[in-house]
Amino acid sequence: MKKMNCIKSKIFFFIFILISADSSAQQFSIYGTVKDNSGNPLVGANVILLGTEKGAATDEEGKFEIKNLNSRTYTLSVTMIGYKSEKILDLRLKDRSVFIEIVLEPIVIESGPVIITANKYEQDISELPVSAEVIPSEKLSRKNFTNLEDAMRYVPGVNMTSYQISIRGSSGYSRGAGTRVLLAYDGIPFYTGDTGEIIWESIPITQVERVEIIKGASSSLYGSAAIGGLINVITKKIPDEPVTYFKSSIGLWDNPYYDEWKWADNPRIFNSLTLSHSRKIGDLGIAGSFSRIEDMSYKQSGFYHRYIGYLKAEYDFSESSSASLFFNSLNQKSGNFLYWKDSRNALIPPEADQGQTVTTNRQMFGLLFKQIVNENFFINFRGSYYRSDWKDQTASANSAMSDLFRGEIQFNNSLTDKIFLISGIESSFSNVDSDIFGNPTSFSLGAYSQSEYKFEFPLIVTLGLRYDFTKIDTIESSSALSPKLGLNYKVNENLIFRSSIAFGFRAPTLAETFTSTTASGITIKPNPHLKPESNFTFEIGSIYKPFKELTFDAAIFQNEFYDFIEPGVDPADGLIYFDNVVRARIQGAELSSNIKLFDEKLSLSISHTYLWSRDLEKYKSLKYRPRHLSFVTAEYSFSDFMLGADFRYWSRVEEIDKELIDLGLVPDGENRVAVYVLDLRAGYNFSDLGLPLRMNFNANNIFNYNYVELIGNLAPIRDYSFSLESIL
Amino acid sequence: MKYFSVIPLSIPLILNLSCGEGIAPEPIVQTGFSGTVTFVGNWPEGITRTHIVVFKDPLLTAGDFNAFNLKFVSVEIPYGSQVFNFNSVDTAVVKIGEGEFSYVAVAQQKTINVSLNRKDWFVVGVYYADGDTTKSGKLVIPQNTLVKNINIICDFNNPPPQPPGG
Repeated sequence: MKKMNCIKSKIFFFIFILISADSSAQQFSIYGTVKDNSGNPLVGANVILLGTEKGAATDEEGKFEIKNLNSRTYTLSVTMIGYKSEKILDLRLKDRSVFIEIVLEPIVIESGPVIITANKYEQDISELPVSAEVIPSEKLSRKNFTNLEDAMRYVPGVNMTSYQISIRGSSGYSRGAGTRVLLAYDGIPFYTGDTGEIIWESIPITQVERVEIIKGASSSLYGSAAIGGLINVITKKIPDEPVTYFKSSIGLWDNPYYDEWKWADNPRIFNSLTLSHSRKIGDLGIAGSFSRIEDMSYKQSGFYHRYIGYLKAEYDFSESSSASLFFNSLNQKSGNFLYWKDSRNALIPPEADQGQTVTTNRQMFGLLFKQIVNENFFINFRGSYYRSDWKDQTASANSAMSDLFRGEIQFNNSLTDKIFLISGIESSFSNVDSDIFGNPTSFSLGAYSQSEYKFEFPLIVTLGLRYDFTKIDTIESSSALSPKLGLNYKVNENLIFRSSIAFGFRAPTLAETFTSTTASGITIKPNPHLKPESNFTFEIGSIYKPFKELTFDAAIFQNEFYDFIEPGVDPADGLIYFDNVVRARIQGAELSSNIKLFDEKLSLSISHTYLWSRDLEKYKSLKYRPRHLSFVTAEYSFSDFMLGADFRYWSRVEEIDKELIDLGLVPDGENRVAVYVLDLRAGYNFSDLGLPLRMNFNANNIFNYNYVELIGNLAPIRDYSFSLESIL
Repeated sequence: MKYFSVIPLSIPLILNLSCGEGIAPEPIVQTGFSGTVTFVGNWPEGITRTHIVVFKDPLLTAGDFNAFNLKFVSVEIPYGSQVFNFNSVDTAVVKIGEGEFSYVAVAQQKTINVSLNRKDWFVVGVYYADGDTTKSGKLVIPQNTLVKNINIICDFNNPPPQPPGG
């Protein structure tokens, strides 16, 4: 009745229901249109029946239809970016289909994208208590990315050291042995059972709907690995109509800046080919894709041949329960470039490392099950099995096989209109069979609960607590409590404040604890006395939108780390090992702005992050943390043509693995500079010409600027790539 | 519209910053030392590796024999060698730079795996300066200079005094 009153008071919102003449069918539908208050159809509005798995998006005429409904009463929710969400209560389908016409009210502050990662359920990004970013699939496609790792280099506040990610300075470099950023795949943590690292190349990038990034400790919901942030890869939903997708790209590495760095006579080519198909058969949806990606590389021994397979099946058992099963496979053969020979031979490894290869096979099975008990209560189950198998053809002939089993059950409960509670239990077990880590096992158990209160002010308060228990092989077990408090206060339509305080922890990985190997003259020894690390993080931020075309987002943050796990050299024997050596602090500020001009044809994004990281025992900066990170992105679209440019600046890192240089293992390793990289891109969509085709051209590092992210590793030189993609 | 003036201002700035070449190849400089190691007598059995080593600070305690004090390690000297001519620029596992170094020696090991534990090493020859065999000779390497005639005699029948901890 409250909604009915609302309708009466607002002339721009009305519902017109027509009773269908046909009432003989057993299955019914809700159909209609969604328009703005000027009568223009709204394309892409989400129309969902709450308490069910049923929903639809509006088409180019603003029309939608939700089919195969039972004769009962529903609650319908309509959402669209830039418009106020609406709910229609008590929509009765008693032996009839229903037509609805819905008018949405535009809002001054345009809603941000919907994000599911921060609190494990869908929210508008502007309602979060923490900083977050979303990378839509179009951006991945336009930049011709074949690896999600490359996309991370363009996220404000994020820097990469080779393939290791650092969000707001959370991580340095540990050659893949553990990460402080958790990567999840539709909410399922996606890390290996042995090293606990992110395998970026496993992700089938053409199947990605969007990537959500949370820039802060997320241990209170996600546990150990999320101590420094979280990335959730949301895969595409299977559409109602069959879709076949094809993408092919080819690229060329340019000659290096200095002639003496040129090591190959033939052109260094890279290419990719992806084919995917998805369709629905009754209540069953299936999708599959296959990608082949090859890169000859600009570096000797930097090549790879990669095959990625992906299968997904979705089944609606009823209106209130559904399951999704997916399988992801990576097969890769690659070179093994650890460090350059020296700065005069920056693109070739030392003689002893030349010709080394690594073969990798990784498979992941995932199961997502959702049971809606009623409009206010539903249950999610997430299960996964991740098998990882790799071996290298080096002098040490390292190899490792690991199995990681994981299960989680999550309860979601709307206690009232204002209070939402989620609770869950998760557990994982991994075992390793390896000549580099030994044969250890690991077990973890976590339980969490988080409630969100929406006050009328309007203030949103989030309170959460998680308990984790970890047992690594024969090492003494450990446990941690990770509480969290989040606030989001909407002062007015133009100004929102947010703040969060959270504790996090991270258990050492099996690799950090048990690695024992030698590579490129570097010997790593185990440390069975390694303890978990923990942190306390604080953030306060604000979104200010003086008018529709301009947005500012500002944040200040502080991160206190205890028993920080870092690799170092034991002076007694010169061997590298992981130890709880550092009490660390990271403070910083981030400011970003988005401007849209010329009827939103030109969009410009600027961001700057200041990071002040320091080891509080040695009073110096943490390794591989730039003090300044800046990004500028501009994109101009007119008709079917698009032009874009991306510029990034990372200041010169102050501290590096100096021990490796002192020991003579990385000649000229002290050579490092600030990063200035400018990329250009252009694209054209042929759809207006009747062709379901889009092409993209990219020129990266256009000035062939030479820099390193990791000592002794020259970052990608200038390259050109061209792609064609088609959706049938 | 004042916000939008940042666009034309930022373009030349970006172009200017990106146009530098960044990291460049370092010129080859001959900073190091060279000389000859002469072996006298029969090589002991069971030697797994032999290296020329240089320490920055004097080896006054067993703790001084550590990775951070160790500033040069040569490639392995083949077992049974009688004479080994070396140049630290070409024969380094761990390269040496300019500076003053207190202890230059030839050391051997019998363990299967490489170890930096003092007790796992035996010194068979020490560099003496100006014929003074009462104390180890100091090696001084100026910038961009290859110091020559750093010669060491290893007499298996008359080994030198061992540093502490052996």
